[in-house]
Amino acid sequence: MKRIVVVLTGILCLLSLFGCSKRMNEEQSILAAPDFKPLNSVEDGRKNVYLIVKNLDSSYWNVMIEGAKDGGDDFDCNVYYSGTYAESDWKGQERLLDDAVAAGADAIMLAPDDSVRLSEKIEETYKKEVPIILLDTIANTDSYDICYMTDNLIAGQQAAKEMISQLKKSGVADSESIQIGLQLGVASSQTISERLAGFFKYWSSNAPKAWEIIPDIKCNDGILDKAVDCAEELMEYPRLRGVFGTNNSSTSGFARVVKKHGRKDIVVVGFDYSEDIAKLIDSDYMAATILQKQYYMSYTGVETSLKLISGEHTDVKFVDMGVVVVNKDTINQKEVQEALQHN
Amino acid sequence: MNKKKNMILPNELGKNFSFIRMLIIYLAICGIGVIVLLVSFNGLIKRHDNKLTGDICSLVTEKMNSSISYMTSSVVNMAAGLSAHNYSDLQELYDILSANSNGKGSGYVSMGFIDEEDNIYASKTELEEFEKWNLLDIAKLANPVSISAPYRSGKTGQPVFTLFTNYNYGGKNGYLFLTYPLEEIQHMAYVESLTKDSEIWLMEASSDNIIQCAGSNRYFIGVWDNALISLRKPINDNNQKDYVAWKDKMNKGERTATVTYNIGRKTYTQVCSKIDFMYGWYVVVRIPSSSLSSAMQQFRLSVLIFLGILFIATIIMFIVSHRCEAREKKVLENLSIQDPLTSVLNRRAFDFTADQYLGYLGKTLKNEASLLFIDVDYFKHVNDRFGHDAGDKILKEFSAALQEIFGNDGYVSRYGGDEFVVLVQNGDKEVISGQLELLQQKAAAIKPSDDEECQDFVLTFSCGAAVFPTDASDLKSLQAGADSALYIVKENGRNGFGWYEQS
Repeated sequence: MKRIVVVLTGILCLLSLFGCSKRMNEEQSILAAPDFKPLNSVEDGRKNVYLIVKNLDSSYWNVMIEGAKDGGDDFDCNVYYSGTYAESDWKGQERLLDDAVAAGADAIMLAPDDSVRLSEKIEETYKKEVPIILLDTIANTDSYDICYMTDNLIAGQQAAKEMISQLKKSGVADSESIQIGLQLGVASSQTISERLAGFFKYWSSNAPKAWEIIPDIKCNDGILDKAVDCAEELMEYPRLRGVFGTNNSSTSGFARVVKKHGRKDIVVVGFDYSEDIAKLIDSDYMAATILQKQYYMSYTGVETSLKLISGEHTDVKFVDMGVVVVNKDTINQKEVQEALQHN
Repeated sequence: MNKKKNMILPNELGKNFSFIRMLIIYLAICGIGVIVLLVSFNGLIKRHDNKLTGDICSLVTEKMNSSISYMTSSVVNMAAGLSAHNYSDLQELYDILSANSNGKGSGYVSMGFIDEEDNIYASKTELEEFEKWNLLDIAKLANPVSISAPYRSGKTGQPVFTLFTNYNYGGKNGYLFLTYPLEEIQHMAYVESLTKDSEIWLMEASSDNIIQCAGSNRYFIGVWDNALISLRKPINDNNQKDYVAWKDKMNKGERTATVTYNIGRKTYTQVCSKIDFMYGWYVVVRIPSSSLSSAMQQFRLSVLIFLGILFIATIIMFIVSHRCEAREKKVLENLSIQDPLTSVLNRRAFDFTADQYLGYLGKTLKNEASLLFIDVDYFKHVNDRFGHDAGDKILKEFSAALQEIFGNDGYVSRYGGDEFVVLVQNGDKEVISGQLELLQQKAAAIKPSDDEECQDFVLTFSCGAAVFPTDASDLKSLQAGADSALYIVKENGRNGFGWYEQS
């Protein structure tokens, strides 16, 4: 009996040690948010705008940083930036907000990691009369001046519109019974949910009744390999003529699998400009992708910051920056080329 | 090991077994009773929960619909009030109203007008929203009111919805519209006692789109989502059909519909109710049954604990009662079967026991038995010479010697006076003869008293024996055989033993 107790105790200790070390590893794997660095040459007498992004290791957020830098140069102010390395590190952003205020920020541009948990700190910062411009994501508070972001409900509608347009262009009749497959990145993401809702909203009002959305909506948890597997599963539907990916991984997964099977009869519509979707758009496949304008969110954010610092007020709290639809027909348009340059 | 234990009489065979059997039957009945109770209790809880959750969902949907109706009535009254002033220039009226009111205190975010030619009197941002969300089309559905789907307001950054109502101005027909924060509906949906458990959405039947008004996940309040992912996908496969049937009712425009389904092991009741004037939209309320059944489950646990205690107490009572009964029975048995002087079986007990035992042996045909009739020789002389106390002493010690020699595999009885009968589970005359010789030795050592004058007294006995089933196949005949053998021994001068011999 004693032996059993000793063995069980040992196992429990090992398990708890394993659990602790795993938690520690998880915590340690997220790098701490670094101190602010200047984006352009710092000059005395100019206003100081601080940018805080969600992920310093992401190409999407690098484009936003680039927009802020250009804004600083164009509108003559000093721009500093920092951010977290994971969207779960909202506490890191809390510290950065305090640091920005302590460093004498004249305005702060923040892409909040957590729209709920960060609200309190945003309110606290706003009370210190520092203008706050939210970028990309809105927070659950009124304590900010303006938010520049994509209205993902509209973006989802644009995707559905593009899908219907390309299907019709490819000769699918309204009476033809076809199926459309959908794939999500992360099911619990607000952004993804709104894109999906937008897609359904437009689709239910505008798509022919014979065009059916497959109820088994796939979810790849943001993992490309899983996205490919999900896409393969959807390929088994006999009347599949369209696929919609709500994020980068879903779109890439669909693009790879459609190209692998040589299914030029399937319309691929997705989000973000990955290499996979670019190959499809550049060839004779039917494909389109939706691009956000994160460059202009921060660029405009810098301009607005200076206006707010000078005492101007904004009439609006939310500005939809809109999206760009990239397909064979639009790819050479000026607006699309500009968006592609900043992606 | 007590050999007598091997001599189990037929009437004793089932005594312990009966008790265990009764105990098992009792346990089985109790077990079945508890199972039936639990099944019916669980069924009751489930029916109660389903009904209650359904009722609560219906109440919440009614509450929301009533609140929305109140809101729409206010807008209609406002339009009627403005119509009474008979303004003909809507731009002028809009400028006056927007300069004097920013909606604070009235609950709305902004207001405006649409004239007969579809000109919209609103802020620049709102005009963009009219375009983006096709609000003009919604306005034209007003009869007398229509409500837009929720959308994110440029002015506030928060989700809003717009109410439109018909408005007469200067003899022309236009529309008055007021934009409210979605929070107004969320407040209507708030049910304090069910905050953690209830989830409330607005749902568009055609697109399956939902927007959450209340729920435990704060991140999704006011956020668009789709029911295929958030409501339907997690439902267990065996309930998918029920959900689809529920959704079909919504698609057909039925006013309300209810569905009960499981997500994992948790049961939910979900009710939808059509929203007046918000065409194609429903309010959907979902509550897990478990949130209501916790009190019932507590009650069920209390009942089970009570039953458990009752059960254990009954078992203890059962066993204690059985033991007491057995003890009392034994005392009574002893009192009724023992000879009071010698403590061996009395005649009645012996006859009954011997008869049962011989009957048992007769059925099994496996064993033999011997019946010994033993008379103490000249016992009357002992009484006369040494007194009755000495006679009693001799009888006690003689019966003790009988018990010692035959008690382990036989029944010893005092038949009366100086007569003893022994039934031995053995038909081997040689063995029994050896035992009788031993008895002779022991008898010889028995003295009427310790007095010296008694030491020359020698106790002897005469014994006649018959074997079952060789000599007789029933007790009466066996006794007769042994008695006749005894008679012969006595005739031959006593102090000896002899076996029945059939003539």
